[in-house]
Amino acid sequence: MLHSLRTSDHEIRSGAGAARVGIGGPVGSGKTALIEALIPVLQRRGIDFAVVTNDLVTREDAERLRRSGLIDPARVSAVEAGACPHTVIREDPTLNIAAGDELEARFPGLELILFESGGDNLASTFSLDLVDWWIFVIDVAGGDDIPRKRGPGMLRCDLLIVNKIDLAPHVGVDLDRMLAEARQVRGAKAVVPTNLKNGVGVEAVADAISAAVLFRV
Amino acid sequence: MLSTLRAIWQTDGAFPNGSFAFSYGIEGAIALRRDMSLRDFEALIEAMLKQRWAGYDRVAMLLSYRAHGDLAAIAMVDREVEASTLIEALRTGSRRNGASYLAAHARLGEPLAVALRDAVKAGDCCGHIAVMQGAVWSALGLGEPLSQLCSGYVAASGVITAAVRLGIVGALQGQGVLQRCLPLIEQLTAQDTADEVELMSFIPFLDIAAARHARADLRLFAN
Repeated sequence: MLHSLRTSDHEIRSGAGAARVGIGGPVGSGKTALIEALIPVLQRRGIDFAVVTNDLVTREDAERLRRSGLIDPARVSAVEAGACPHTVIREDPTLNIAAGDELEARFPGLELILFESGGDNLASTFSLDLVDWWIFVIDVAGGDDIPRKRGPGMLRCDLLIVNKIDLAPHVGVDLDRMLAEARQVRGAKAVVPTNLKNGVGVEAVADAISAAVLFRV
Repeated sequence: MLSTLRAIWQTDGAFPNGSFAFSYGIEGAIALRRDMSLRDFEALIEAMLKQRWAGYDRVAMLLSYRAHGDLAAIAMVDREVEASTLIEALRTGSRRNGASYLAAHARLGEPLAVALRDAVKAGDCCGHIAVMQGAVWSALGLGEPLSQLCSGYVAASGVITAAVRLGIVGALQGQGVLQRCLPLIEQLTAQDTADEVELMSFIPFLDIAAARHARADLRLFAN
């Protein structure tokens, strides 16, 4: 098998293979909790999926998912971010691309791969070399001024999640105003409020993923 | 001139190839010597170039380069690297770095990179970074001298960049170290390399550091 070259296999990220969805956002905003909440919903919908995590200094997120009992541990890959959580999803996404390719090779029927970014700041964005569509997660406890700061992550993502909405009254956040400001700065792009601890908003997120990259409405 | 430009392109830190996530033992070495001075660090880089890169990575890259796209010959070099890299963290790191490197070149449309990536997927190749670099640089027409310089430069700059991010040298101090490495890299590439040469490496401190690092709970780099 090692004697011939395919000479016309010029590849771009053009829809071949599993759809790839990025999940970014600040540390503690709820990225791993989102994946934990999505797993049973995606499974119930019969979607064949896997997860790639990007931990900054440990394999904590990957291990948390592997030990959760929610998903076959073989379907969770960990990519170290080399101290650069934004580099590994934006300037140099090749480690994640290779991890996704490897999952596709191991699970030929794969429809969807979720890439969880390491915790980063509001300037974090995903390269479209890596993903087809991406989510940014913020939370009310991070402050209701986040939408007004208009970070590229929040502005450019395909779906903005405002998580931990149950905490709003406890941290002095006017949730309605925060959501209104988020919608104002994002124009027509979607904003979904969630409380991932009790499942509020998870179905809406799964619907958005299904419609955007799996073309299931 | 085009081959020189391609060499610059391949050594540019902005070229995405996954290398930023690997320290090749430096993070582990720093954990063992937290008070490492700039002089100690520079001596470590020099040892790495003389005792690992010159006799091992450079040679593996050259042998792969000389295969000129023959996948079976490239796979043979690849298997030799796999068999002779005893530290698991360095072995798996080299394979992962190679997979990222191939992913980049495959996306950019290099047919040999596509074929090598498929060979790795099929288990016919391991995909070690030095071997994949040699194969692709041959396809890009860099020539042996420039390929060796590229290999030495990215080996030194990668480790120095990791050290800067780990905070043991400043950004400009790191560039000073790299600047002083350049004559050494040139000197080490001047020696003739026979086709039947054995791969040789002897850097026990970095090997042990890399092995210890693999068991660390907290780490920034993959190795």
